[in-house]
Amino acid sequence: MGSSAIFNNYTSGNEFYDEMYNGSSIRAPYKKLYEFLKNYPAEELNKKEEMARRLFMSQGVTFTVYSGDEGIEKIFPFDVVPRIITAEEWNYIESGIKQRLKALNLFLNDIYSNQFIIKDKIIPIDMIYSCEHYLREMHNLKVPHDIFVHISGIDIIRDADGTFYVLEDNLRTPSGVSYMLENREITKRIFPDLLPQNSVRPVTNYPQLLYKSLAALSPRHNSNPNIVMLTPGIYNSAYFEHSTLARLMGIELVEGRDLVVDNHRVFMKTTEGLQRVDVIYRRVDDEYLDPLVFNSGSMLGVAGLMSAYRRGHVAIVNAPGNGVADDKAIYIYVPDMIKYYLNEEPILKNVPTYKMEDVSERKYVFEHIENMVIKKTNASGGYGMIIGNSATENEIEEYKKQVVLDPRSFIAQPIISLSAAPCYINGKLQPRRIDLRPFAIFGPSGIEIVPGGLTRVALKEGSLVVNSSQGGGSKDTWVLNS
Amino acid sequence: MLSRVANSLYWMSRYMERCDGILRLLRVNYAYSQDEFDKFSWRPVLMIFTDMLPITIEKTKYEGRKVLEFMVTDKLNKNSVFSLVNKSRENARSVQDNVTKELWQCLNDYYHVTRNKDLVTALKVEDPISVLDDLVQQGMHYYGICEITMARGEGYYFMNIGKYLERAMQSVDILNVKFSELGYSLEERSDPTYWKYLLLSISGYEIFLKSYRSALDSRNILHQIVWNEHFPRSIIYSVKRLKQSFETLKTDRNSEAYKAISFMIGKLESHIRYSDLKDLEEKGLKEYLHDIKQELLAIGSAFNHYYFAFN
Repeated sequence: MGSSAIFNNYTSGNEFYDEMYNGSSIRAPYKKLYEFLKNYPAEELNKKEEMARRLFMSQGVTFTVYSGDEGIEKIFPFDVVPRIITAEEWNYIESGIKQRLKALNLFLNDIYSNQFIIKDKIIPIDMIYSCEHYLREMHNLKVPHDIFVHISGIDIIRDADGTFYVLEDNLRTPSGVSYMLENREITKRIFPDLLPQNSVRPVTNYPQLLYKSLAALSPRHNSNPNIVMLTPGIYNSAYFEHSTLARLMGIELVEGRDLVVDNHRVFMKTTEGLQRVDVIYRRVDDEYLDPLVFNSGSMLGVAGLMSAYRRGHVAIVNAPGNGVADDKAIYIYVPDMIKYYLNEEPILKNVPTYKMEDVSERKYVFEHIENMVIKKTNASGGYGMIIGNSATENEIEEYKKQVVLDPRSFIAQPIISLSAAPCYINGKLQPRRIDLRPFAIFGPSGIEIVPGGLTRVALKEGSLVVNSSQGGGSKDTWVLNS
Repeated sequence: MLSRVANSLYWMSRYMERCDGILRLLRVNYAYSQDEFDKFSWRPVLMIFTDMLPITIEKTKYEGRKVLEFMVTDKLNKNSVFSLVNKSRENARSVQDNVTKELWQCLNDYYHVTRNKDLVTALKVEDPISVLDDLVQQGMHYYGICEITMARGEGYYFMNIGKYLERAMQSVDILNVKFSELGYSLEERSDPTYWKYLLLSISGYEIFLKSYRSALDSRNILHQIVWNEHFPRSIIYSVKRLKQSFETLKTDRNSEAYKAISFMIGKLESHIRYSDLKDLEEKGLKEYLHDIKQELLAIGSAFNHYYFAFN
């Protein structure tokens, strides 16, 4: 009998929180899934895995890696075993994210107008002005409905005792939502009927929610506003996501060269002449948006876009300048912001974070480097960081030198032992570290978060880095109804 | 439709048509070189279809296999099959939401075929005709999928405009290749074998026999490739189809653009339709072909200007 073979030798360690196992017993929300998988022959699961790979490949759910002048198409590795979040956990996460986004949005409104938070000495002024994503051009610019943070993907992790923490606030152009949608579609195909049996809440209406919230921003009050998705183009690694979202919402996918500004209004060039554009969901970074205002060499943006925006003739999603709120050094102050703007205690905790500018904190970090991660404040994707217990002596010394030269650009955090979930690897279930990125939409009528998100997995044994650029994969993420 | 999308569909289609033309041209010339091993020169092909330096052409003109390699798999040659398929696919990729999934997958497959290392080896050591035939088959697959799956909307018609404009240019160029060698003289007696291969490679041999029932004479060949309305690779046929596709684009919103290009296409069609071999002999074949090519190029630029929002 080959039954339950795939669970043989599954060892959930003590140094991390295991999402499925509590010691040797199965956690309640995972029981049904366990019963289902227990008797699943490994050959069958291999077939499912192969089927998932084929579905991704044939649908072109790929990202491109460039080496030299040739691009190689790769699929984002998908693990067939879903990650489960209970209704209770979800309510907690959801209310925590909503609270955080409200505060961050108030912060952006404040920092680009009256700057009360600086005047009241909650955040030091040089913290703001030394942030390279702080845009003077956004000062006193009235953004539609006072919303800066329309679309966000806040990264959540779980420490060894199971507590949730916010690791990063991604408020600029977070990606991954198309994988949340695709992963769910794949689960429907490879495990028929399993979703309703577990009463998993659906995520499929994300594109409709997004469309509704984009349409509500239209500066012209017409019933059929012209909404476009602005992409840097086919060479961008997230191009698949841009074209998928555009197709799912039925909006035009444009590049900078498709748009033109005339008399402070934005138009797209069509075969029948110019057509007015009302809302731009852009996946182009701030500095490339408008060559007249930002990087003058940019070919990805639209000349005059910022003047049209400033006059309220077009809505830009997300608002430019959000980078000042998701900077890794500003992150330290988010709990203070929540208290300052909302007069509430933060629901979701921050990971303890050390400012490298502060001499005593820096000293402490350097002395305890083996338990620390040092990160660049403006880098993402798992780049530009050093993990104290896995780097060599030399690497650490080199890194320390950089930190001392430019301390504002670095922060340090204790190494968090991310929670682990079972992944199907080489015919066996093995624990691998995971995080969670839920996707929130902040519209004129409030904040909505589709119950789910992207669970990223560090596929390498023992690795704590989940980024796709560093060999990470993903899982379907189930939020249970009850 | 976005101008950029129309432009990408147009070029996707033009590159595929050019690729097909070049493969067929290579096929006929290679087949012919086997009969004429003594004096066959690839010079006209290299002159007209590549930007190879004259000095390199002199070195390469008798090296059939090298020419094939250069024109099929060379990555630096902008007009090699490799480059053309790659460019066609890049265009399709940037408008993936405007082409059918089948069409995208077909171009993607073709792309992987041209990148396969076995292709280089096969061109070196195996029978090149079979290799070229296989590639032509890939192209036929593409044509079939376009016809069967693409919705009859603006995008489809822009693809057809690209296709027929390119095909008309190809036919002019194919005539140029052979007649340049004969000094553009219709009197010069040329080898009927070449004409036979030419017609075979563009699937025109049978229709030729049915239409002309006579020897493979330069005049009849010229007639078939320029004026035969039943021959799908003739210049007149291509221009007629170009006109038909273009006419579907007429709307109230772009009357200026429509009028300008409609005039140019109409003029070209009359130019071809109301000329015959006699005019041609008086004016000179070289000038005649040159004029038609210039008009085709001008139509291409007019599309850039009026529909694709360049300059």
